[in-house]
Amino acid sequence: MLNRMHDEGHNTTAVVISWTLCLRSLCTRQKQAKSREFVKKERSGLRQMACSVLFHCPCLNPPTDPPPPPSQASSSTSNHPLHTLFFCEECDAIRCDRCVSVEVSAYHCPNCLFEVPSASVRAEKNRCTNTLSVVPSDPPGLTWDTQSSSISLGAINEPPFLLFCNFCRWDSSELGIKFDKPTGLAAQLQRHEDSAPEMLEFERLKEHFATYLRAQQSSSATSQQSQPHHRSHHTSLTVATAAASSALARDIPGVSKHRRKDKDRGAGIDKEELPIYKSRIESASLGTLGLGADEEDVEFLKKLDTENGIEDVARLEQRWTGSWQGSIHSRDLRPLRMPLHSKKSKRCPVCRHILIKPEQKTQSVRYKIKLVAANYLPSIVPLFPSLTPQGLTAAQKKALSTKGSTMSVDEGIDHPLVSMHAGRTYPFQLAFTNPLYDPIHVKLSVQRQSLPSTSSSGTTDSGSTKKVPPNFAINLPTSSFPISAYAEAWEYEDEDEEEMLLDDEALAIGGSGISSSNNTGSRKGKGGSSSANIGVIERKANVTVVGGEVVVGKEGRGDVKFNMMVSYTYRSDEPSQTTSIKGEGKTRTAASEMKTFSFWVVVHLGGIIVRDREKDRDRERGSEENPREG
Amino acid sequence: MSVEFPSTPRRQASFDPTTPASTRPTGVISSPHYTTTRRHSLYGTEDRIVIDPGSHIWKVGFSGEGRPRDVFFVDGLDKRPLWSLTGLDEVAGRGEEDTVLYLRLKDHLRRVFHSSLMADPRARKVIIVEHPLLPLRVKETLARALFTNLQAPSISFASSSLLSLLAVGRVTGLVLDCGHLESTALPIFSSRPLYTHLKTTPLAGARFNAHIKALLLQFASYIPPLPNLGSSVSIPTADRITRVPEELLTDAVVEEIKTRCCFASNPIDLTQEPPSNAESTATMMVPDSDSIMSDAEQESTTPVTMSRTSNVTPSQPEATSRQSAAEAYSNVIEEIYKPRSTATDVKMTVSALSPAAMAQPQSVPGMGTLIIPGWIRERAAELFFEGGDIDELSIAEVILHSLLKVPIDLRGQLASSILIVGGTAMLPGFITRLRKQLLLALEKPTRPPGTSPSKRFYDPFATLRPMKSVLSIVNDPNHGAPASATTAHNAGRAPAYSPAALPWVGGSLTGSLKIGGQDMSREKWDQAEANANTETDIGESSQTDPSTSVRSQRHMVMPDWTHKYVPWGHGPPPANTHGLLTVPT
Repeated sequence: MLNRMHDEGHNTTAVVISWTLCLRSLCTRQKQAKSREFVKKERSGLRQMACSVLFHCPCLNPPTDPPPPPSQASSSTSNHPLHTLFFCEECDAIRCDRCVSVEVSAYHCPNCLFEVPSASVRAEKNRCTNTLSVVPSDPPGLTWDTQSSSISLGAINEPPFLLFCNFCRWDSSELGIKFDKPTGLAAQLQRHEDSAPEMLEFERLKEHFATYLRAQQSSSATSQQSQPHHRSHHTSLTVATAAASSALARDIPGVSKHRRKDKDRGAGIDKEELPIYKSRIESASLGTLGLGADEEDVEFLKKLDTENGIEDVARLEQRWTGSWQGSIHSRDLRPLRMPLHSKKSKRCPVCRHILIKPEQKTQSVRYKIKLVAANYLPSIVPLFPSLTPQGLTAAQKKALSTKGSTMSVDEGIDHPLVSMHAGRTYPFQLAFTNPLYDPIHVKLSVQRQSLPSTSSSGTTDSGSTKKVPPNFAINLPTSSFPISAYAEAWEYEDEDEEEMLLDDEALAIGGSGISSSNNTGSRKGKGGSSSANIGVIERKANVTVVGGEVVVGKEGRGDVKFNMMVSYTYRSDEPSQTTSIKGEGKTRTAASEMKTFSFWVVVHLGGIIVRDREKDRDRERGSEENPREG
Repeated sequence: MSVEFPSTPRRQASFDPTTPASTRPTGVISSPHYTTTRRHSLYGTEDRIVIDPGSHIWKVGFSGEGRPRDVFFVDGLDKRPLWSLTGLDEVAGRGEEDTVLYLRLKDHLRRVFHSSLMADPRARKVIIVEHPLLPLRVKETLARALFTNLQAPSISFASSSLLSLLAVGRVTGLVLDCGHLESTALPIFSSRPLYTHLKTTPLAGARFNAHIKALLLQFASYIPPLPNLGSSVSIPTADRITRVPEELLTDAVVEEIKTRCCFASNPIDLTQEPPSNAESTATMMVPDSDSIMSDAEQESTTPVTMSRTSNVTPSQPEATSRQSAAEAYSNVIEEIYKPRSTATDVKMTVSALSPAAMAQPQSVPGMGTLIIPGWIRERAAELFFEGGDIDELSIAEVILHSLLKVPIDLRGQLASSILIVGGTAMLPGFITRLRKQLLLALEKPTRPPGTSPSKRFYDPFATLRPMKSVLSIVNDPNHGAPASATTAHNAGRAPAYSPAALPWVGGSLTGSLKIGGQDMSREKWDQAEANANTETDIGESSQTDPSTSVRSQRHMVMPDWTHKYVPWGHGPPPANTHGLLTVPT
């Protein structure tokens, strides 16, 4: 059979099932994938080093409380990039991926893109009946597309059919897998799975205990008949139920003891009642069947080939879903059916309104409902003028001036993390982009450095609770500043367009009210900090760039990372006019004029270079960095 | 409630705690017809979700199935295990630690429901497979995440050891669970875990990883990748061989080495000469200084705990520093094991940066080659079987000590049905070796030479010696000739489920039979939470002693064996911040 298959395969290439991946080539693929993963990890490590603004979701702590200081480990999990967040209009609150409740709206196979009705998902065990994947597991971090394989079939010959790999000449007869017909291979494979030894053994075990429980049920029923007051007001069904549960309860630790006494008065001790279970396949018998007994495995491992022997042993991830004592040889790995993916809709955990809902069709990538936070909150991008001396680059300007800019700004432009020297002052800028159709006024307040005991350098090993001066101080404008409304037209206009101020009267407060004095800045008090750096730097379209300063303390160390509360005031017009705001809400419709929404962000600007290494770094860098000294 | 009539009211009363306030009755009550309901439930919500949450590996799936749907490594914030044997000592950091634990558990549970199983958590009851020594803090956090974040309708915790026993069709036996953090022996009689006879040791997967890593750092060799293809082709491979850099041995690499090439071999008989040409009985006890000097050039060993002194100790008075003592100890190990091992060396490719590329941050990693000595593959697992000390018993000793604690009437029955479960027990040869080790320990002890025959010597297992003939491991893959009829009946008779999957399979079995443990409904949880909050508020305002009431509320909610037999006031302190605030002075 095999030869015929091969011959025909060579001559006509019609019957050969072309399998893009097979078990043998898998090893090399995995290696590649691993090294790719390694690279990705390295890169992502670098990306983390970019300075960032993350938005806080108040799902962990009550919204009245300030978020935990950013040095704490739990802080990192409750702050997210803006584009991952949702916004519930009903609750007027930010929701993150960790707190929304998720519902599956459709299942599909990622490979063949067939939509699977939810009724058959259960029976088919969350796997596709069309596509086979070769890798018997899904190691975290590896993507499916590197490992998945589809099976395309040529002309139909007579049965049986085999899977055959063109690359390494592997075919599935090595595993004893043959197919009756060349279509629906995965469905045929599922029949193999359903008659797997662990399934049959499981049914047998269930029968074993069921008989035992039935016996106990009947025995306790008879014992109850001898004591008629037991069942005086029960129907026969409830007697059976109670008896069953009492019998069952005997198997459970932590149920009341008197029932056990009842039983012990009777004939039985448990061991006599539960018959000895006769296994279908005993673990000791596996060796004689040649299915990979312990000793054989040990001998095999002992004589593992030095050069490439480790590849003959299957990886743990490929074996561990099998609950049966299987072979450790990688040649015995079986193809698996492709796990299904799902499209999920997400709801607000509090009010259960839908936050995001995809279209049902598998091929569609659009959403029916999409309440993302980027449409409600101003996006914030940190900039370092010392790195980009001309302010924004052209690309940044372009990106900033559009509405859906946050994603591209967050991901496209990496600002390398700035290394700061202790005892200096650095200017930085925050570019706010307003997504709303109304102009807003934004007010910033930096959270004070936390108490000395949980100082921001909490992760350092000093560990002492004596007074530690804060590592750095942040100066930002304290008064509110305006951001113009978003308008569709700006997407199409040139970047060198005139600065465009709306004639909104609310904006009259304008940049004039910006002061350089600051609550944290006053701590330093030395007049060196130039007020030119602080305040509104630039206003253009719906973007306002605000300047600030970070004053690094003499003994500073660690990261320059701080919590900042952003409050923005917007004018909500009549409910009929606003497209985005619905009638419900606390004071929305009633108060009508000015509304304020506050949220917290974590700004990560860079790391502080420790004093003693500073000189070396200076020499290395030369004039590359050129910070503006305060 | 002073009804003195016989049993009907008592029955009612005893059922009250298990009856949830939900509209649906619990499975125990509703289902004598399990066979039919099971069939109906194929598309319904009757099937429960079985989660076996480990500190290192989780197994999840639906009840009624023979294998878990998904198994995955814990992969959290910084790839630490979800919890460890050492908690935080200082109270200050505990709140933060709890928060992080909650966040990580929540993430894992969300992954289970949303991507592994793709099931609606609000529709299905959950069975949690609970290790006997799972910290109550973790239990509570699991329950909180399931109830508040995922809104599961009910949870039941079931003892992993008991579930494993059910999965092999038994209700009596001694279950050894050799997992990641610790190995625990728990006798179970007639489906009742005898928790007071539990014995545990930290010799388990995590320690094994550390041991392998330490040995590899000292004895393995490494060929780094070439800097780039063009430059240094001329350097022969032999010249490039170096020691293993520590950063190369990540947890993932060590885990892969452990699972793909390590195994457990036969016990070593120290009284016999090694089979190979190395005739160094003299240096067996005292390592000669040359070998130490040759290895002394290495710069660092991991501070792995080599403090366990086995029967062979390095008698090096000058080995003052801890590090060199550890090294000397490793050298002794090598002296003993290397000549007595026959396993081949194995090369393994790992992605790594070449030394030259290390300087440039953006370079693409190449493939380095790690050469793992055969004796490490074969003998690293000796860690589990060497004689332990009083704090860290060896695996065999854990079983025997647990048997010692068991009432004498039950010993025979328990010793003849030992069940080995857990991921570390998946090591090839583990169970076989363990059986040999158990039998060795029950041998008539040979008198140490030089002691007078009249002198008594320490023989802890003397009373267990009669058990030797009946001792049998029920999932022993290859027992030899049965020593007795009992052994023939038991040894190797269990179904051939893999040891790691047994607890999960048992959970699936109880789920489909509807004999899970006590259900805990979300209504009860919410109520208890509300009560606890109000109690705390009242307590804080009126300065009474609220701790007992709060705590009893908690205890009522969270069933746990650790405080079942203890009066309320003397239980372990609840691991939540409310409790911490209100601990009486």
